[in-house]
Amino acid sequence: MKIEDVVCSFCGCLCDDLVVEVDGTRVVSVENGCTLANEKFLGDHRLKTPIRRSGNSWTKISYEEAIAETAAILLDADRPLLYGWSGTFGEAQSIGVHLAEILGAVIDNTSTVCHGPSILAIQEVGHPGCTLGQVKNRADVVVYWGANPVDAHPRHMSRYTTYCDGFFRKDAFKERKVIVVDVRETESSNIADEFMKVNPGGDYAVLSALRAIVRGKGDIIPARVEGVSREQLFRVADICKSAKFGAFFFGVGLTMAPGKNKNIRNAIELTEELSRHTKFTISPMRGHWNVYGSNEVFTWISGYPYAVDFARGIAFYNPGETTSVDILKREECDACLVVASDPGAHFPKACAEHLARIPTIQIDPHVNVTTHLAHIQIPVAVAGIDAEGTAYRMDGVPIRTRKLFQGSYPDDLVVLEKLYAIVKEAKG
Amino acid sequence: MRFLLNTGRTIKQGSFVERKNNPSYQVAAATILMNPVDMLEIMVEEGNHVRVKSDTGEVVLQVSPDNGLTRGRVFVSLGPYANHIVSPETHGTGMPDFKVTPVSIEPTDDPVLTVSSLMERCGGLPYED
Repeated sequence: MKIEDVVCSFCGCLCDDLVVEVDGTRVVSVENGCTLANEKFLGDHRLKTPIRRSGNSWTKISYEEAIAETAAILLDADRPLLYGWSGTFGEAQSIGVHLAEILGAVIDNTSTVCHGPSILAIQEVGHPGCTLGQVKNRADVVVYWGANPVDAHPRHMSRYTTYCDGFFRKDAFKERKVIVVDVRETESSNIADEFMKVNPGGDYAVLSALRAIVRGKGDIIPARVEGVSREQLFRVADICKSAKFGAFFFGVGLTMAPGKNKNIRNAIELTEELSRHTKFTISPMRGHWNVYGSNEVFTWISGYPYAVDFARGIAFYNPGETTSVDILKREECDACLVVASDPGAHFPKACAEHLARIPTIQIDPHVNVTTHLAHIQIPVAVAGIDAEGTAYRMDGVPIRTRKLFQGSYPDDLVVLEKLYAIVKEAKG
Repeated sequence: MRFLLNTGRTIKQGSFVERKNNPSYQVAAATILMNPVDMLEIMVEEGNHVRVKSDTGEVVLQVSPDNGLTRGRVFVSLGPYANHIVSPETHGTGMPDFKVTPVSIEPTDDPVLTVSSLMERCGGLPYED
C-alpha cells in the first residue's frame, strides 16, 4: 500500500511530501525522501523488548515490570532529571512536563545542546522570523550562517530556498543569491554565490562589522575582520541591503561557538538593522525533528521552553544551572529518565559517566549510545512511522504526523501515561 | 602538534544515527578530518590512527584528509568519540564548547574502540543487539 503526503520524522524540516510504500508492518520504499529520511523509514533496527541491566548482564523484562521499576526509581530519587523529548510528539511531551511537576524533577529537552542559546537571545531581543512558505515564495537573498543544510537538512535548499521556485521567484536558482558563512568549506559553501570564511570564534566580530556597515559606519572597519576582508564584508552587506526579501538562517555553528547566545543576539540585531533598508527575517535551523515542539509544549505548561526545574514546587528556569549538562557535570541528579534522544552520544564524557553511575532509564525505539549506560530501556513505536501525534516544524508550524501501520510496540504516550498513573497514585 | 577541534553534523553520521552499534556509525563518528598538509606534517596517511588529547580526555580516531579545512584545524562528527575530548564547561549558558577545543594529535597503533567499549570505559555495560 502506497501512502502519500507522509511527514518525515527525522529533522526539523518535517518534509510532508513523502510517498511511503508499506507491506504489513514493514516499510518497503520511500519516494521524495533525502538520505536521512530513507534511512529513517527503511531502517529496521529496533530493540525488541524492554531490557534491564542486572549486574554484568542484560535481562529481557516485560513492559509492566519495566514501567513499574521506572516509577519506583523516579519516586525514590531526590533530584530526578527528565531529559530528551525532541524525537517524540507533543502529546507525549505534555505528559512528561506533568510528570516532572508531580515528581519535583528537572525537565530539559535537546535544545539544551542545540538552539538553547538562540532561545536565550530571542528572550532578550525578540524573533523577527517567518514561515518557510514566506521564504520559498519571496526571498531573493538567503544567508546560511554556521549551518550546513546539505548535510543536516538535506532538502531545505530544494524545498524552500536555492532550488525551489516560488510565487514571486519563478526561476529561483537564478533569482536567489545564497550567502554561506562558516569556519570551514562544506558542501553548502560550495554551492553558495558568496562564501565568507570566518575564523573560529570570530562570528560575533564579523556580525558586528556587518552591523556597522549597514548602519553607515563602514569607515571604521579594518582591512580584515576575523579572516574576512573588508571588501567582502561590504559586498555581503550590499547584497543584503539590496534584497527585496532576505532570509537569514543560522545553525549550531553560531550557538555552540564562543559568544553563543550573544552571537545570536548580534545576528538578530543585524536582521533588525537590515530591516531599516528592506525586509529581512531570521530563523534557527532546528535539527532534531520535534525539538521546536518540545519548547512549545514546555512553555505552554510551565512558562519556560527548556531547563525547567520543579524542585521548588513551582517552575524555575536558569540555563547554566538547570540545564542537563550542568546538572550531570555537577553529579547532582540521582536518577535520569531519557525519552527520545541520546545524551550518551551527544553530551561530554563527564555527563555520560554520571549517567552510568545513577539509575538511567531510556524510552527509545533503538539501541543507541545511552543504551550502554542505562539501567532499563523500554522500546516504543517510532513517531511518524507506527505512532502518530503532533510535531512542530523548524518555523513553528504544527504538523500532524500519521501512523503508517499498526505495529506491536506501544507508543511514548501509552508508556508515559502508565508511568504517570503509578507516580500520581503514589504521590496521592 | 596543536590543533583546534570543531565538531558538527555530517550526513554519514546522520544516516546511521539509529544504528549506533553498527560499524558504519563507528566509522562516521570516529573519523577525524585534517588538512592534507597537516597529515604530512605529523606523518599519517588516510586510515591511520591518531591519538587526540585535550585537557578533558583522549581518544583514538582514524584520519581522513579534507582540503576544505584550514591548516591547524580539525573536524570530528558530533557523537561519543568527539565528546570524549570536549569539556563539559558551559560558562553559564548550558552549552558546552563543541566548536573550539584545543587538542594535540599524534600517530598511534592503538585501535579505535567500538561505541560500546567507549561507553564501558564510562562505566556502562555493552549491549550487543
